Amino acid sequence: MDLPSGIRNYTYDRDMAIFRTKTHWSMLLILFVILGTLPLYLDNHWLSVANLIGITIIAATGLNILIGYCGQLSIGHAGFIAVGAYTSAVLTNRLELPFLVGLISAGLLSGFIGVVFGIPSVRVKGFYLAISTIAAQIIIIWIINHWESVTGGFNGIVVPPAKIAGITFVSQGSQFYLIIGIAILVIFFAKNLARTRVGRAFIAIRDNDLAAEVMGINLFRYKLLAFFIGCFLAGIAGSLLAHWIGFMNTENFRLTESILYVGIIIIGGLGSTIGPILGVVFIRLLEKGISFLAPTLESTFDLPAGFTTGIGPMVFGIVIILFLILEPRGLAHRWQLFKASYRLWPFSY
Amino acid sequence: MKFKKVLKIASIVCLALVVVVTSIIGTACGGSTDTDKTVKVGFSICYTGVAAEKGRPMGDAKLDCIKYINEELGGVNGYEIEVIWRDNQYDASKAATIINELMDADTLMFTTNSSAMMTASAEIANRQAFPGFAVFSTPALTNPPQHIYAQMPDYGDDWAAFANYFLENIWAGTGKPKMALHLLNNSTGAGAKAAAEALADDLGIEIVSIEEHDATTISEIDSITRIMAQEPDILYISSTPQPTSIIIQNAVEKGLYPGVTIGCGHASFTSVLVELAGADAEGVYGVFPTVNWDDSAPAMAKMTEYCQEYHPEHYGNMDYITSWAEGLIVAEILRLALENAGIDNLTPQIVEEQGFKKLDNFDVGGLHGPVSYTPGDNRLAKSVRVFQVQDGEIVPITGWVEAPKIPYQFD
Repeated sequence: MDLPSGIRNYTYDRDMAIFRTKTHWSMLLILFVILGTLPLYLDNHWLSVANLIGITIIAATGLNILIGYCGQLSIGHAGFIAVGAYTSAVLTNRLELPFLVGLISAGLLSGFIGVVFGIPSVRVKGFYLAISTIAAQIIIIWIINHWESVTGGFNGIVVPPAKIAGITFVSQGSQFYLIIGIAILVIFFAKNLARTRVGRAFIAIRDNDLAAEVMGINLFRYKLLAFFIGCFLAGIAGSLLAHWIGFMNTENFRLTESILYVGIIIIGGLGSTIGPILGVVFIRLLEKGISFLAPTLESTFDLPAGFTTGIGPMVFGIVIILFLILEPRGLAHRWQLFKASYRLWPFSY
Repeated sequence: MKFKKVLKIASIVCLALVVVVTSIIGTACGGSTDTDKTVKVGFSICYTGVAAEKGRPMGDAKLDCIKYINEELGGVNGYEIEVIWRDNQYDASKAATIINELMDADTLMFTTNSSAMMTASAEIANRQAFPGFAVFSTPALTNPPQHIYAQMPDYGDDWAAFANYFLENIWAGTGKPKMALHLLNNSTGAGAKAAAEALADDLGIEIVSIEEHDATTISEIDSITRIMAQEPDILYISSTPQPTSIIIQNAVEKGLYPGVTIGCGHASFTSVLVELAGADAEGVYGVFPTVNWDDSAPAMAKMTEYCQEYHPEHYGNMDYITSWAEGLIVAEILRLALENAGIDNLTPQIVEEQGFKKLDNFDVGGLHGPVSYTPGDNRLAKSVRVFQVQDGEIVPITGWVEAPKIPYQFD
């Protein structure tokens, strides 16, 4: 990792640390203070947006491990999120099990099902693998819709609020602490995973799976492990989504959602920890901005009702296209450039 | 490289402009929200997304109606109705953030067009006792009744009304008529299925086939083939216009129709269906809870005037009628709450108790059946009519048919 001018590491431990300078620690502290006090100055609406961002970050981080690190293209991520959401919903509603049991089970079942659908990855890759993951999405949603006695079918299922040690997470503020807390853990896990033997094996497989196999990396094992981790995190996100919305039906998990997740990690920057975070924040805030812009324009300029609704999809599409043309390495690359320039400041030349 | 540089500069300028314009407009609009002569309501509208074919005319209609109420009637009891509307894009997670936004914005109640978007908002609203109603609804939304209401009879009521009409007026055979269901794979289809499961045996109808389709289907030849093998007497479709038109066209192509009787639920039975299916839709029956365009109804003239002035493209679309009526119901709920509780005491909970629950035979300008609250039944209007496509027009063939509450058992 690059360091500011004049700073060196004298031990291996220090060299391996994620936060190494006082500036790093100070910024981390400031970030935690901001996050910790956010419910004090945000209203329910913006907290709900923050909660959606947190849930999306968890799911996108899982997909980034799968696609960004290990190179296994998946367009069925919303299906795996659905598995987590329904697992948690069924366990806490029908069986009245504690939320934490639902949460962990959601991750595990999602991860297991991800492994099942990941088996084709040993034989196929690229677009062929993408198609097999689309099949996963279709099969999962079909089963959920038709297993009515358990999932409620098309009518859906009510999900009770999350409850841990007597604390019920009903308000947007309390849910924010739960969701952001888990999101931070997930980001920390993903950051460290990339620096382990497993993470390096993922990257080797992504860059050249044949070469990786020659070097002794067990492709079958590591590819399935990537599916398990990616889908485990999707399951965790699904569980949180279910308890946040309070009601689940499969309308929440369309194929377009899966495609959106791929778009998010491409815009954020594949193969970096910060990428999914930036991508999610960018996309979710863009959506909010657009949803605010249309009615505001109409009321300001006294336009006919519904006149401006078309600008939403239009702006959204244009921004994504421009982004892909101008910064295909994603926001994470911009962030790296910004950090590099700051690192040399005021002597950057 | 030069092209990329120009593109980069252009995009940065565009983004900067969007940010600047948004903030200027946002600041400019800030003052109007603080006036004390307004009552706020929230509309979560699926203007874009896969249900835009219904969301757009409905969104336009309700906003036109509120404009009419504010500008020509002077608002409600002298208070202007201030609308905060958001496009939910028919996306559940967006609908969940929108319902929080509407609650934060101190709106007194909210509405959604579709049952799907209401299901995404309902639990959050119910937990906060924040009242709202869905224009189109599914039985699961109001069973058991909480703080969410249905403007009109639901998709299950459609099925029951059509089944009764068929048995009394069309069926001339012996024994039980055989019915095939073709259902959209969401709550629109699930509502009809729930009613069929609850009532078919009692009515004496045999359900021989249940097929599902997607909102974006482009061919239903396979499912029609399977249905034909069961030799049904009736094909009942509970879906939206586009997939319904595909099913009808495929039924004609395969020779299933004419021959069987086709009935449709109200989510699909609009002028859009007739436009899409063309001559193939001739003779198809449908259930709809409103009057038709150009029918004699007190509210028809003003609604037609606004539609033709602001949104002539929706003229003839019955979804416009339903949401014009929605605007009138919102105004009536607010009027009752204002009269019963006074402006200073208005909260969402007061609006539910003194507005929603005080509705008693409110006449929606004759656009649909009277609107009443009945304890234990959160459907506000409880009657439908049966229509038929005749010479390319949707023509009513019955008067108002009462839709009794069906005893559903949902979790």
